[in-house]
Amino acid sequence: MEVTSRLLPADIFRVGSIGLRTRRLRAVLSAVGIAIGIASMVAVLGISQSSKADLLAQLDELGTNLLTITPGESLLGEASALPGTAPKMVARLDPVEQVATERMTDKTVRRTNYIPAAQTNGISVLAADPNLLSTLNGTVKTGVFLNRANSRYPAIVLGSVAAERLAITSLEAGPMAYVDGRWFSVVGILDPLPLAPDIDRSALIGFPIAEELHGGELDATTIYVRTDPDTIGDTRALLPATANPENPEEVAVSRPSDVLEARAAAETAYTSLFLGLGAVALLVGGVGVANVMVISVLERRSEIGLRRSLGAAKRHISVQFLSESLLLAALGGLAGALIGTLVTAGYALARGWAISIPAYAPIGGLVASLVIGGIAGLYPAVRAARLSPTEALRTV
Amino acid sequence: MSASAAAAAGGGTLAARAPALELRAVVKAYPGGVEALRGIDLTVAPGELVAIVGPSGSGKSTLLHIAGTLERPSAGEVWIDGRNAAELQDGELASLRAGSIGFVFQQFFLLDGMSALDNVANGLLYTGTANSERKERARELMERVGLGQRVAHRPAQLSGGERQRVAIARALLGRPAIVYADEPTGNLDSHAGAELISLLQELNREGTTIVVITHEKSVASAMNRQVTMHDGLIASDNGQERRGRWR
Repeated sequence: MEVTSRLLPADIFRVGSIGLRTRRLRAVLSAVGIAIGIASMVAVLGISQSSKADLLAQLDELGTNLLTITPGESLLGEASALPGTAPKMVARLDPVEQVATERMTDKTVRRTNYIPAAQTNGISVLAADPNLLSTLNGTVKTGVFLNRANSRYPAIVLGSVAAERLAITSLEAGPMAYVDGRWFSVVGILDPLPLAPDIDRSALIGFPIAEELHGGELDATTIYVRTDPDTIGDTRALLPATANPENPEEVAVSRPSDVLEARAAAETAYTSLFLGLGAVALLVGGVGVANVMVISVLERRSEIGLRRSLGAAKRHISVQFLSESLLLAALGGLAGALIGTLVTAGYALARGWAISIPAYAPIGGLVASLVIGGIAGLYPAVRAARLSPTEALRTV
Repeated sequence: MSASAAAAAGGGTLAARAPALELRAVVKAYPGGVEALRGIDLTVAPGELVAIVGPSGSGKSTLLHIAGTLERPSAGEVWIDGRNAAELQDGELASLRAGSIGFVFQQFFLLDGMSALDNVANGLLYTGTANSERKERARELMERVGLGQRVAHRPAQLSGGERQRVAIARALLGRPAIVYADEPTGNLDSHAGAELISLLQELNREGTTIVVITHEKSVASAMNRQVTMHDGLIASDNGQERRGRWR
């Protein structure tokens, strides 16, 4: 019978998986290293992308067309103030859609009058326009915001952090706060405002009552402006001269969404660090696979001898061990991609984010594990093929 | 079976067919000056049942490795089924082993992770035969060697005699021109050993060419021809006269 020594493609898989099927625990343990490496890389990429996507979605929701105008410094370095006409002047600009003003008071808010006035908890008391919240696209967690009615009375709205620091979490008991010798009822607690974190740490009262407490007019400390998103650059350039025509250089204009974008970029820096750690884990996993393959070749010398006697050429022996190593690594890579995806999903769900995993992470992870498996299996495969059949059969 | 049919057809014209094995002045010297074989001439005709006997160290294992193309001779020629092994590359030698040579080892060398059937089917693994056909033929052959009830068993679940019969079935699956059995009864008790010998005899009657390497006189005497080795040389061969007659 004229026969050519060959191994059918279907048999390559069958032969390559024998080692894994007969030594399952060892296969699993050696694949774990690669799985950890791939899982951490996928999870890092997935979590950072999910977090970034969430931040950008948040930005979309909050709008990037918000500008803030604050008094800057005079040429001599002294703190300056915005003229009282600034809010009205700014509102007159055509692209400006909404304007809200906030005025800093020198008052403090405390839980009771028994707490020393110096103990402010870092909470400032601001006088705010009733439309401040809508301008910031913010929401109340509970209660109501300032409006035309309660602005005249001792009513106070707490920022999210301020409420926490004052230990006021609900309005059920009708909580009161002590401001400058008067009791204010807490009418609302705000959700966090990512575009104006200062307000999170503030207590807000209406203009009329603030001026009553102050005994005079207050200067605007921040003017929040919503503009037409298409012309935001031009509008931004116009604002200083509009707010303070006399000294436009004493006006600072900023765009809070820039800060959030910078934060998204900063998180990417951590990502590469963790990716590097994942790559190290992957490398260690590859060394583990190589180690297991070398041992496997030593242990299965008689099998190698038998296969040579059955008609396997050297290349069939090397193909067998190479495919075993590739299978092992692919197994680890698949498990890793799956675990990484699950970790990302779990983390994103816990944070309330939408799950977003870049497609290249699991695919790249699989490819990387195959490359590692190929490299790890190369030397053992060549060694197995070089083993002389008689020497292989002698060992038992 | 076609193996027996072939033997029946070729029965009258043995001399016209190429020898299953022909060794010409084979020498095997190892580095360090040890000469395991010192000039062996041996011809095995198709259909023969030969025992190669000799004490350990006589060179019979080396002879088996060289005759089985697992090792190359230092000098001399090895012809198997009409092909000169000395002229073949590794891939061609592998093809020769896959198609024309069967091995049975003292230690059986069955793969633990698979059934007896799959072990037998492995006899055709490197011939490019599809898995389904390998299994089908393996099943038929196992019925023939009395292992029909052991198809799904793992090697660990079989007795020594059964394991060796699985190994024999594996060696025979590709209908090789020659089968080498290296101390096939070495790991078996006397009863299982005797059964195995009668199986080999039966397979030979059906046409398989078998060379048994053994140091046991009782095994050797059960074969049709005895070749005795001593110190790397053939000391006696009671098949010489008969071969002379064929020519």
